[in-house]
Amino acid sequence: MDFEDTPDEAAWRSTVRSFVEEHRAELGDRRGRRTDGDDVARVRQALLYDGGLVGVTWPVEAGGQGGTPMQQAIIDQELSRAGVPGLINLIGIGMCGPTVIHHGSDAQKDRYLKRLLRADDLWCQLFSEPASGSDLAALRTRAVQTEDGSWRISGQKVWTTLAHVADFGIVLTRTDPDVAKHRGLTMFVVPMKAEGVTVRPLRQMSGGADFNEVFFDDVVVPDSERLGDVGDGWRVALTTLMSERLTLGGGGTEIGMSISSVAQHVARRIGDLSSDRQALARQDFGRAYVDTLGIRYTGYRQLSAISRGAFPGPEASAGKLAGTRVARDLADLSVRLLGDDAAYAESADGSTGWQDAQAGLPGMAIAGGTNEVLRNVLGERVLGLPPEPRADKGITFKESIR
Amino acid sequence: MNFDLDDEQRDLASAAGDFLRGAASPADARAALDADDPANAETRPGRSALVDSGFATITVPEDLGGGGGSLLDLAVVAEQAGRVLAGPSFVGYARAAVLLAGDGDRLRALAEGSAAYAVVDDDGPTLDAISADRFLFLRGDDLVCGGGAVTTRAPMDPTRGLAQVAVDGGDVVAGDARLRWDHALRVGRVVLAAEGLGTASRALEIAVDYAKERQAFGRAIGSYQAVKHSLVDVYVQIENLRSLVWWAAWAADQAPDELPMAAAAAKGAVSTTLEAAAETLIQVHGGIGFTWEHDAHLFWRRAKVDRFLLGDDVAAYDEVARLALAAAAASSDASEPSAPSAPSAPAGAVAR
Ligand SMILES: Cc1cc2nc3c(=O)[nH]c(=O)nc-3n(C[C@H](O)[C@H](O)[C@H](O)COP(=O)(O)OP(=O)(O)OC[C@H]3O[C@@H](n4cnc5c(N)ncnc54)[C@H](O)[C@@H]3O)c2cc1C
Repeated sequence: MDFEDTPDEAAWRSTVRSFVEEHRAELGDRRGRRTDGDDVARVRQALLYDGGLVGVTWPVEAGGQGGTPMQQAIIDQELSRAGVPGLINLIGIGMCGPTVIHHGSDAQKDRYLKRLLRADDLWCQLFSEPASGSDLAALRTRAVQTEDGSWRISGQKVWTTLAHVADFGIVLTRTDPDVAKHRGLTMFVVPMKAEGVTVRPLRQMSGGADFNEVFFDDVVVPDSERLGDVGDGWRVALTTLMSERLTLGGGGTEIGMSISSVAQHVARRIGDLSSDRQALARQDFGRAYVDTLGIRYTGYRQLSAISRGAFPGPEASAGKLAGTRVARDLADLSVRLLGDDAAYAESADGSTGWQDAQAGLPGMAIAGGTNEVLRNVLGERVLGLPPEPRADKGITFKESIR
Repeated sequence: MNFDLDDEQRDLASAAGDFLRGAASPADARAALDADDPANAETRPGRSALVDSGFATITVPEDLGGGGGSLLDLAVVAEQAGRVLAGPSFVGYARAAVLLAGDGDRLRALAEGSAAYAVVDDDGPTLDAISADRFLFLRGDDLVCGGGAVTTRAPMDPTRGLAQVAVDGGDVVAGDARLRWDHALRVGRVVLAAEGLGTASRALEIAVDYAKERQAFGRAIGSYQAVKHSLVDVYVQIENLRSLVWWAAWAADQAPDELPMAAAAAKGAVSTTLEAAAETLIQVHGGIGFTWEHDAHLFWRRAKVDRFLLGDDVAAYDEVARLALAAAAASSDASEPSAPSAPSAPAGAVAR
């Protein structure tokens, strides 16, 4: 057991660090108000890509470097330490790209992957629909093949993060309603600027508008943009979701604000409280801090296992579940410490960071698998508990929606 | 970075598990509780079996009759002890090994079992006092070894051998010993957390097994989410506790600067986690879980007592907060950094 970098890891860390130092000003700062538009964020990602810091674990043919998950973890640590904002094309890198790598044709890989890593193209993931979120396989968006082999897609997606700026998306559709609902699905790459695609931003409870509803009205997609076989979309989607596991709360990455910024905030403010309130605040903070450490070191264990060649299993969902919980606890105690400002959406000095953090976190308990769905997964796949009985077994999709 | 046990540690855990499963069990914990005088009941494996096995004194140097191993070695063994509610605790051996460093005669006596030490803190009950024949304690800044008057009371968990000890007399083992004392206390907290990790893991296993078997309304109760999700919450806590225990044990061996935080974190986490595991174990069993006959309360007793040992959970969380805040204040730049931006949807989010 050891936490030191191996010589290779240390060399990589210093490469990453010197790149970040050299370009510190251009890379921007994640603290402060978020005013960057997506164009700024694209330029930042391209700079990082050209510096070799995006997509290291991807195969060389896919625009990556065939590197290790540990190298990626080191990049994440260094960018986070330096306060560099997150990558804009996170969904492309975490979910869409891996799906194209596993199921795309050579032509698709050539066309899309490198541009995705450089954020020349932004990507989104078009899975959820008004009537299917947790129960993804209940989706209704239809794709019908025409005589010339191309497909026509009609239906509605929702909660699509980044759809308003995205160039491409992966869209899961129903191509056969007369088989069991998991069986009749097919995945495609769709250009978001195609005729018949309409994107309407949705405002979140936090006030921002990062997700959207997306309407497909007879959108034509050539058969060459299919990912995987016809009817095999569920298996293709599982690749996406598996990659998602590591992106969200895997490897001990922090969700929400960083623990060090919370610690500095608490250290600065706690003296304003009466001594009995201070004791209570320390209990809250101490508990959240212990949880944060537990999640971080469990992430290190997973990372070590992956470095030895293990595949990220459903255990990784524990990090998202616990990380979301502790992020909410930390946001809550941070806001409490604002005193009279705590009940307003902005502080007297005009800053909104802690209030915004508090308002953004409920979404984390829903996005990427709700808390309840993750608990089902952990209970059934890790603890081996029996599944719940379900009412949609042994019937076709069509029968299931009657 | 490689944060995992190595093959030798896995083998050690498995050998210790074999020994401990043969030498102690919840049935023994129950027997102690049912004894005529539970406060003075013998615990299993008991001191001599533990010392003979060599596991208890893993951290004593080899030339003095110990195992010459690391605290991480002892922690993986202690986890196995926790699974079977073994007594006495490995905590006393670990603390004594640190306190007596440099005192060859006393360490040798510890390793061969001719002396039975317990460590007496300024406040709080003394762990395994009833099976001890001498006590280590701090008088001023002197570390002292001597006798004491032991007062017992009806125990909540007789496997812990708790008593109030009024120390007196004794010989000074070392002067200026406060740093060593604090270090030993932290090492003790790590071992206590390792035992609690084993106890909590075993409690979860028993609960999960029952949830797969027991039927209600025509289904296994583990298929109901209220049951399933409470078991998952315990699982998540246990895995995080395991990480903290390993980290803290590693820190004691390799990175003493990290030990104060790691030991306090492990102590806080084990209190919270073991309590959740034990209460869930009872709840999942329904009525049978509330009976004297069922083992569930033996795990629960451990949880309810251990949280008060070597400082309680409230003190541990307070210490974590003070350490983290002191570090933050020291590293904080003069200007007030603005608060972080909200997690943007892409920054975390994402589909399904
Ligand atoms: C910030 C954000 C970003 C998102 N980005 C994307 C995106 O980019 N692309 C995309 O495709 N989707 C995205 N989503 C959608 C997200 O994946 C879904 O919202 C999520 O899967 C839940 O589906 P739902 O909203 O339909 O809720 P429902 O599935 O209707 O769930 C409602 C409630 O019922 C509970 N529930 C449902 N099924 C069960 C069950 N079996 N057991 C117990 N409880 C259950 C849920 O936990 C929840 O509490 C995003 C969501 C958010 C909040």
